[in-house]
Amino acid sequence: MAGAIIENMSTKKLVIVGVILLLFQAFSFMVGGLIAPSPTTAVHYLATKCVDTVKTHHKGSKWFMPWGPDQCSKIRDFDEATAKRIEANNIVFAVHIPLPNREMSAWFQFMLVILQLDIAFKMQNPIDDGALVTLDVGLAYRDSTLSEWTEMAHSIEHRKLSCNFTATKTSENEGRYYDCDLLPFMEVGSVAHKYYLLNIRLPVNERKKVNIGIGEIKDIRLVGIHQNGGFTKVWFAMKTFLTPSILIIMIWYWKRITQMTRPPVLLEKVIFALGISMTFINIPVEWFSVGFDWTWMLLFGDIRQGIFYAMLLSFWIIFCGEHLMDQTERNRFSVYWKQVGPIVFGSFCLFIFDMCERGVQLKNPFYSIWASDVGTELAMAFIIVAGICACLYFLFLCFMVFQVFRNVSGKRSSLPAMTKARRLHYEGLIFRFKFLMLVTLACAAMTVIFFIISQVNEGHWHWGGYTVQVNSAFFTGIYGMWNLYVFALMFLYAPSHKRYGGEQSSADQGGNSGEDIQLTTTITHVDGPTELYKMTGKEAQE
Amino acid sequence: MDLYLVGYLMCMWLSSSRVLGGYPIWWSLALGQQYSSIGSQPILCGSIPGLVPKQLRFCRNYIEIMPSVAEGVKLGIQECQHQFRGRRWNCTTIKDNLAIFGPVLDKATRESAFVHAIASAGVAFAVTRSCAEGTSTMCGCDSHHKGPPGEGWKWGGCSEDAEFGVLVSREFADARENRPDARSAMNRHNNEAGRMTILENMHLRCKCHGLSGSCEVKTCWWAQPDFRLLGDYLKDKYDSASEMVVEKHRESRGWVETLRAKYAFFKHPTERDLVYYEGSPNFCEPNPETGSFGTRDRVCNVSSHGIEGCDLLCCGRGHNTRTEKRKEKCHCIFHWCCYVSCQECVRVYDVHTCK
Repeated sequence: MAGAIIENMSTKKLVIVGVILLLFQAFSFMVGGLIAPSPTTAVHYLATKCVDTVKTHHKGSKWFMPWGPDQCSKIRDFDEATAKRIEANNIVFAVHIPLPNREMSAWFQFMLVILQLDIAFKMQNPIDDGALVTLDVGLAYRDSTLSEWTEMAHSIEHRKLSCNFTATKTSENEGRYYDCDLLPFMEVGSVAHKYYLLNIRLPVNERKKVNIGIGEIKDIRLVGIHQNGGFTKVWFAMKTFLTPSILIIMIWYWKRITQMTRPPVLLEKVIFALGISMTFINIPVEWFSVGFDWTWMLLFGDIRQGIFYAMLLSFWIIFCGEHLMDQTERNRFSVYWKQVGPIVFGSFCLFIFDMCERGVQLKNPFYSIWASDVGTELAMAFIIVAGICACLYFLFLCFMVFQVFRNVSGKRSSLPAMTKARRLHYEGLIFRFKFLMLVTLACAAMTVIFFIISQVNEGHWHWGGYTVQVNSAFFTGIYGMWNLYVFALMFLYAPSHKRYGGEQSSADQGGNSGEDIQLTTTITHVDGPTELYKMTGKEAQE
Repeated sequence: MDLYLVGYLMCMWLSSSRVLGGYPIWWSLALGQQYSSIGSQPILCGSIPGLVPKQLRFCRNYIEIMPSVAEGVKLGIQECQHQFRGRRWNCTTIKDNLAIFGPVLDKATRESAFVHAIASAGVAFAVTRSCAEGTSTMCGCDSHHKGPPGEGWKWGGCSEDAEFGVLVSREFADARENRPDARSAMNRHNNEAGRMTILENMHLRCKCHGLSGSCEVKTCWWAQPDFRLLGDYLKDKYDSASEMVVEKHRESRGWVETLRAKYAFFKHPTERDLVYYEGSPNFCEPNPETGSFGTRDRVCNVSSHGIEGCDLLCCGRGHNTRTEKRKEKCHCIFHWCCYVSCQECVRVYDVHTCK
């Protein structure tokens, strides 16, 4: 890589660029913290117990509404059902999403629903070990309060109960509830309709051992999670603003590279690829989800993020490798297969996992890979392999950084003995490396710190009269930060054109511009045409 | 026994005529079947006994919440009966009377403190529950946001978990407790303590749903605890309730009674603690004046040394033992939800009752 802009830039200009980037960074945090609402909302739903009587069959509609004008006939609890001799198969748990007087909106982007069963302890009727609940679930939608329900999905699902009873199992404690884990229930990748209706049945079949030994289920509670419309709008606005910025700097960067006499080196290509993957994330295709019912958007978003992370990790490895300064010629992607391999493999594992979960959910929104034993093992296997790959990668990365630092200190001692041109070349390399190292560490630390804050914190801070949405600030801030990182990378590590002109005058180099020109040109001869050396080397071999 | 009954009825009549007495008459909502949330006929606000004008206004404005209010009081009373099942006073309610506990709670005792707390917690709990069920349209937070209705929900959602229920309980249950006397202050305090119990015992649940289900994106919410837990908690508070003394001050609006902790060397009651300022009767002998039913003929546990044991429950009068043959269901197979197939067994029990 030829002398980059960052080396030839005066400290003053560098500081100015840094300050501007920091301002943008602060701005991106503030957009999330002050304008946007919290990223997601969780809404509690308690299923209404409807009775499927013979009468309702005649009415034609097979959907049960929990409230409103055409609500079903309800029972309050199951003692009432026992008294009225209602069978389990005729009890329908109905949940209308959202609650009355509200409607869903395409801005909500996704909707996921979590199932929680309230199971009372009873001496005679405990939960069996490894009990499996079988749910017959149907999902329907409609767009006006007057129209008919249209079926969206219907499925028979199994969920494993994992409940524990904290009190002692004596008759004293009958009626207390078990402490059950949350069960994944449903995930829909787009919210294109205004009203949704869930009908859940727990069919019992003694012969097939369906829903036997599941304890005394008192209630079914659901929690619906969706992205807040306000957050979506802020997020889209941010993406729409960032896309052209990164796109423009990318085009500028590539132009600079093509203007050079030599073909682009590996590192330049990798930075460009990083720019492309960033743009790929940025492009606000989500705008379409407001108009179209694209359920695959959630999966697509995962894929885009995955590609970017893989690219970023590869970039770090290659950047370190290209700054090793150990005289071996790299500049080929194949040299790095050992380090990049784990990234690719790990990402691939996660991709397969995601396809198994969110991919299948495109077909059946109630599907969950965690629901079955085989699925759980498979999912765990994928995640563990991906985790191992990540560990392997970080070992490689740390080792490489260590190598670079060792070589740097080695070079430091021999620097005074070198010719001026060579020395400047190495000093440039060291500076470039250290600068990126510093910035990367800062960004990574910021990400980790904010991640921890957002995990620990309750979500918002009251600060004077303002409410700061910490979680939203985390998302917009970190997203903005990595965009600025890529932006700065493409800007500062673009090849410098200063060798063509004589106008450069760095403050520290004084007025001796004649020597500057000579130096920079020699640098390009020493460094830029490494290909030339290679070629001559090859020729010599031949 | 009949004589006692007449005495009771007299007493009850007396207490129910004092609408602004010790405890609210509208609690009788809990016993009326017609007021339950599934009940077919709507609640008539005018027919609820003992409402003060503010409550009547609330009832008319939020008529759809009223079934949950009734449900809540019922829940509270059931929990009270569960928590006090083995004690001398076992939270007995009297049918066909407006003052559903009889004169017991007219005094500012620990028992009154507990019942007030659990009833107000029950109201908050049941309202929150019914909001999640969608039975009332008033719940939620759209009213706090500016702009057209529904916009607030679309922009930032509503994540009020229990606040609305607590608000309803505060508005409705505390409406009659605005007199400047000590009893009103005590009821206010204990009502609030009951509601605080809910907020205190909410537990946080989270779900990760980021990239590939990672915790990059995490959504958390507060879930209401099992009502039994609230009962346990308040029972602890009952056992450690603080005794107060009444102080009179002269303020611009007249004499105002306030409560002060009786024993300065004990820790002062916080807003989560229950307070009382009158001693409880011992509930051993029937007494129409205090509303005690006595413990005669109550079933006691001979092996226990606790309050439910025969020694303490029978107040030292001793107990009778008889053997009872009971036909019982056994070897049951339960099918969710409402079908049980059982065999019938005959078991012999020793039943101990107080003399």
